[in-house]
Amino acid sequence: MKPVTINFRDKASQTISDEQIQQSLEHVYTGFFKGRLAAASETDNWEALRSKGKAIKDHTIANLDYYLDLLATNVEKAGGKIHFASDAAEARKLIIGLAKNCEVKTVIKSKSMVSEEMGLAEAMNDAGFETVETDLGEYIIQLAEETPYHLIAPAVHKSRTEVAKLLDRSYQPGSEPPDATELTMMAREQLRDVFRRADMSVTGANFAVAESGSIALVTNEGNGRMSTSVPRVHVAVMGMEKIVPSIQDLSTMLRILIRSATGQRISTYVTMVNGPRKQDEEEGPEEFHLVVLNNGRDKLLSDIYMREALNCIRCGACLNACPVYRKVGGHAYGWVYPGPIGALVSPVLTGLKDGKNLPNASSLCGACHDACPVKIDIPRMLLELRWRTAEGEKDPKEKSSSMAERLVWKSWRIGMMGRKRFDLGSRIAGWTLRPFTSNGWISKAPPPVGGWTSSRDFPAVSTRSLKSFVKSMKLGGGK
Amino acid sequence: MTDRQKFISGVSASLGRSVPVAPESIDETAFFESPGDADTRAKEITQDSTSRSDELMESLRISAAKNGWNIHSVSDSENAIGVIQDICDSKGVRSVLTSDHQALNQLNVSAALSLPEGATIRTTDRELHKNSVEDSKEEAFTADLGITGVDYGIAETGTVVIHPKNRVSRLVSLAPPVHIAVIQKGQVLESLDELFAMERHDFLKDDLAGSMNLISGPSKTADIEGTTVTGIHGPLEVHLLILE
Amino acid sequence: MSNLEDTPTKPDKVTLFSTCMVEQVAPEVGRSVIEVLDLLGVGIEYVDDQTCCGQPAFNSGFRSEARPVAARFIDLFEKTAGPIVVPSGSCAAMVRNYYSQLFRDEPDLKTRAKAVSERLFEFNEFVAKFFGTNALKGQFSRSNTATYHKCCHLLREIEIDEEPIQMLENIDGLEVVPLERADVCCGFGGSFSVKMADISTAILDEKLDYIEQSGADTVVAADTGCVFQMQGGMRRRGSSVRVVHIAEFLAESAKNAGAGK
Repeated sequence: MKPVTINFRDKASQTISDEQIQQSLEHVYTGFFKGRLAAASETDNWEALRSKGKAIKDHTIANLDYYLDLLATNVEKAGGKIHFASDAAEARKLIIGLAKNCEVKTVIKSKSMVSEEMGLAEAMNDAGFETVETDLGEYIIQLAEETPYHLIAPAVHKSRTEVAKLLDRSYQPGSEPPDATELTMMAREQLRDVFRRADMSVTGANFAVAESGSIALVTNEGNGRMSTSVPRVHVAVMGMEKIVPSIQDLSTMLRILIRSATGQRISTYVTMVNGPRKQDEEEGPEEFHLVVLNNGRDKLLSDIYMREALNCIRCGACLNACPVYRKVGGHAYGWVYPGPIGALVSPVLTGLKDGKNLPNASSLCGACHDACPVKIDIPRMLLELRWRTAEGEKDPKEKSSSMAERLVWKSWRIGMMGRKRFDLGSRIAGWTLRPFTSNGWISKAPPPVGGWTSSRDFPAVSTRSLKSFVKSMKLGGGK
Repeated sequence: MTDRQKFISGVSASLGRSVPVAPESIDETAFFESPGDADTRAKEITQDSTSRSDELMESLRISAAKNGWNIHSVSDSENAIGVIQDICDSKGVRSVLTSDHQALNQLNVSAALSLPEGATIRTTDRELHKNSVEDSKEEAFTADLGITGVDYGIAETGTVVIHPKNRVSRLVSLAPPVHIAVIQKGQVLESLDELFAMERHDFLKDDLAGSMNLISGPSKTADIEGTTVTGIHGPLEVHLLILE
Repeated sequence: MSNLEDTPTKPDKVTLFSTCMVEQVAPEVGRSVIEVLDLLGVGIEYVDDQTCCGQPAFNSGFRSEARPVAARFIDLFEKTAGPIVVPSGSCAAMVRNYYSQLFRDEPDLKTRAKAVSERLFEFNEFVAKFFGTNALKGQFSRSNTATYHKCCHLLREIEIDEEPIQMLENIDGLEVVPLERADVCCGFGGSFSVKMADISTAILDEKLDYIEQSGADTVVAADTGCVFQMQGGMRRRGSSVRVVHIAEFLAESAKNAGAGK
């Protein structure tokens, strides 16, 4: 998927004034956010689980080469094939090649953010394979030719009317659309037909297990199960970081993933795939392929201050907790991963120059850090990226601050390095703003304060500093 | 395609080394646990699920009901068949697929059910029925009802666990609109911890099934306006038939 | 990180870390802190040359400008003794939690920063830890309906949650009402409020709606930035709801009670 993160501010503004999307985003709070809180509070050892999950991920990422190597050995031992792709283009070529070799006509896709990174569905359709998204939300946005709005609920922004236009061939625009159940049944029928025809499936992998070469898939709908039961060929794609060392680790990871994503104790279906089907099974894929993708993740891995971002298990809890995401929605972030984790991953993977707005699109409230099941310290890393865009700390080419801004902070520093100049600065600011001040408040100010006063009153700079009061107060001292 | 060695070398380089190094062990992952320990644990779990079978079944009953399973508890085969018969009658079922599980075999479902003229009931068995895989799939997609046993139940999450294998189809609990899962006393595990411990134990004994399905209720989605709708790709209705 | 581990002996003197915002825009908050501490029998030392902890530049990514200002802060405050009290969760968090990142390649400064951090307390934290949230019961009074907004850094970085509400509940005559989504950000975020003004405003509008729904005539908060974000917004929408820093609110309530005696 081609990044358009540079359009963040415009897209954000549009979304803020779109009433219908604002209502949909409210669901993200009342449904997913509250769901996670409820699930966490009814789980006795929730904090211990988070710590354990973090420890497992820290350990795995710190030893990623070892575990990837082991995964490769074990996938092959279990009868599958593993493929390594350094970037999206390579991955697409690989998978299209597999489809060609296996004489595939129809491809079903289960939800996978990595496949979005690759722009896979579009590429496969262009290459002549009928490729259909089978997760209802993904199916809806595929029909709408859009990109996902949320990690877990890709079509969260679509109203029933919009969905009816896409799913219901007999829908008359302007009339009352069918209810959610009716629309869902239409999708069930449409997609069931595709399932029966499918020759190949492409799924994601919520976790890959190094010691056994297995993958685990989490869905509520059953399309993941269809994908691992019906077609002759099953291709699973994963980011290279989605590994856990042991089968047993799945119990910890599934607990924290699912409760954090939707508030459920478990999703309706969890499927563990241990290679292609056994010879004497009734049905199931004859071939199992696991495609492991880098696509810039090495940049995060080699960066000790950003490496923690690879611990992400893609639950979406940070999105649900983020007051910014809940106002600007998923498309503003301009690439596959929205919300707080997107603000970290997108700029690093697609280029900090274009993605420079994302680390600044945060009030640093810390709700994401609180929400993360593996305790990723997102605010710390947002600050790290801000440093790089401001001063080109890691790479001078990443600096995107303007001369004006750098000058502002230089003068700020000069003003803070001595008390006399600090007080002088206050007095000057006070005089400058006096014409705009009435009753201690400013309702229309010149730049840079103008950004504030467009929507809020601004407090006047005080005529006396605290210091001057302290000097004149009779201080009581200890009783 | 980048080859494996090149890719892994790249990852090692990102970690500041030239080749992978075996990691220091940590407590939090079972990766470093010995097969002996895994074996002991598996035995403890099996013992526990037997000795606390009533308590665990009660927990499962509660958690499964919360997830939308229709729960039926019966004390003998006759009543079990009665439950299945009622479901068949109320839905006008004409084609039933079953799996080869001990619980079902004991009930002798095929013989005991009375279905209308022309209706069929059979266990998925490609070899026996001389089916191709395509035939087998078609059968599953056109069936009205799938009945299976289970390998485990999980009390924590309201789940049944099925390992597809010969005569246990992947699709029989997925494609038909109604699924009945028959579970016996003593099959329930406490939580996901115990399930994956058993699974790991199977792996260490080189006895891992081709796949494993955890099923925790009817298929559902909330992708349209956040409204939960049951029955998108999997069964719209699931029944847990508990043989006490 | 919380500095609330053990209950120590009550100090009778603390150093006041006023913050640049209090000095320049809200000195009444500083005066109020002094008055409330006085009621507790605590006097203050004032560091004459104090300016800023460096947070604004750090948050905007200009660490090279933040560093000398932060180093100066350490120079000034390490010369003091006993607890340091600051009426801001975000400034407390800057020193306690973020100086270690700012000085990460300077072990000496890092050590010195840690030493200062260990005796640095946010105002509410200080009162709760050394005196208890009901220490001043009976010394405050007013007749209002108030609610409390949980400033993000105070809540998540300093881990002070319900303590200020408990303090408010000790004010005679005050009706304390709950605030829906009290722990959701007000949208201030420092320069975020100007750089991304429309997003900041959208977040603020939701906060103000919930405050109005609470039925309170006053909303109390513990960081001046958040107070100004919310008061600025309330004024702009013509609301009579007052937004006030907790120190100021307590100081006023004490005067009220004193007047009644």
